[in-house]
Amino acid sequence: MRTQLFAFMLASAVAVSPAVAQTAPAKAKAAPKAAAAYKAPRTPDGVPDIQGVYSNSSAVPLERPANLGAKEFYTPEDLKAQAEAAAKRAPAAPTQVGTVADIHYDTSQFGLTRVLTDAMASNRTSIITGETGRVPAMIAAAVDRQNKQRAAAAGHQFDGPENRGIAERCIYWGNEGPPMLPVGYNATLQIVQGPGYVGIVQEMIHDTRIIPTDGRAHAPENIRQFFGDSVGHWEGDTLVVDTTNFNDMPAVGRGASRNLHVTEKFTRTGPETVLYQFTVSDPSTWEKSWSGEYPIGKIDGAVYEYACQEANYGMANILSGARADERKAAGQK
Amino acid sequence: MRKTLAVMALCAGLLGVTRSASAHHAFAAEFDAARPLILKGTVVKWELVNPHSWIHLDVKNADGTTTRWMVEGGSPNSLFRLGFSKDSLPKGTEIVVDGYQAKDGANRAVGKDLTFAKDGKRLFMGGSAPGAGGDQ
Repeated sequence: MRTQLFAFMLASAVAVSPAVAQTAPAKAKAAPKAAAAYKAPRTPDGVPDIQGVYSNSSAVPLERPANLGAKEFYTPEDLKAQAEAAAKRAPAAPTQVGTVADIHYDTSQFGLTRVLTDAMASNRTSIITGETGRVPAMIAAAVDRQNKQRAAAAGHQFDGPENRGIAERCIYWGNEGPPMLPVGYNATLQIVQGPGYVGIVQEMIHDTRIIPTDGRAHAPENIRQFFGDSVGHWEGDTLVVDTTNFNDMPAVGRGASRNLHVTEKFTRTGPETVLYQFTVSDPSTWEKSWSGEYPIGKIDGAVYEYACQEANYGMANILSGARADERKAAGQK
Repeated sequence: MRKTLAVMALCAGLLGVTRSASAHHAFAAEFDAARPLILKGTVVKWELVNPHSWIHLDVKNADGTTTRWMVEGGSPNSLFRLGFSKDSLPKGTEIVVDGYQAKDGANRAVGKDLTFAKDGKRLFMGGSAPGAGGDQ
């Protein structure tokens, strides 16, 4: 992997967790600030070429830690202080045997941690941009809707596979969006282009977005999909993607409804980098829209297949575990 | 791998925090905190399947009989990037699993830590193949 492209992110080390320690990247490369003077190469049909295999790993949290207030960027002094503090910090105590918290892999052994993933450097305090850096408050009707959904699900979480979370069922992961958000491991995506189309496959957990750029309108209003209906167009060197037609379970979650509307921008900022920006609005859910951005960087290697459903033994195990719990509660063996 | 190892050493404290966020599913719903176990056995098969790999191993019991166990491990995609291939854990390898048994009492477990029986080295940590996230 080309480490000169990536570096572990200092900025959010403290933001993610007080226990986090990260080292100063020896070959850190600054995140792209803007398209600036870079002119993206063209595909044979004359549009900007943003193709490649990228990592969208990021150590920047989606939402800004509350104690940072309106501070959108760390200063170089902040980053230096964080690195120094992190180097001195003692490791957190291990989890205790026999506790629920202990039932897990040692994630470092299996490569399932962000700290084993190359992430692009960034001095942002949150992916969400602007004064608050946080998802805006939900409107009362949305809170009510969410509470009713939770009440209906309560006590039935283990009834059958349909009651389990959508990610556990291998249908999608919340990171898939749109907006696409960094994921903890296997944070790999590939962008391909053909005349009139852009395709994006996200490794986690396997879905492909096919985005027409031929000027067509959105699908009819009654067509509703998990990932919505995306149409794109080019503005200079930037691919702009507009997505509507979500169903009642958009991957972004956070209470979003079928009225979700997402605008994304992909701007190639250098030979190896693309700046990804997004704006999310849903008047049925949030008081106002929210926006965010993070850089993605090319990596060597490929997107691997993540055929999740075919070997999802975990689902059967979880349900049989619930049945065992029920028998135990009923006093049976 | 130089960078990866250096960072891991510094980041030991992160693990406890990221655990729940890194899981594809609810481990506590599948495995039982009241059934911690240590299995020493011989690898029979390694299923490199997503979302989680599964190691099948034969464990010798005190009475001389053998019990076949299945142990859940991390995503093969991540293991490949750590430098492992389908040939990295051959049949017959003796390993030790420190984990938790399935809630339903079946011979399945989550492999919290997996080590080689011969030297106690961890099975998957620190791969060095190209693309494993380290320097080349």
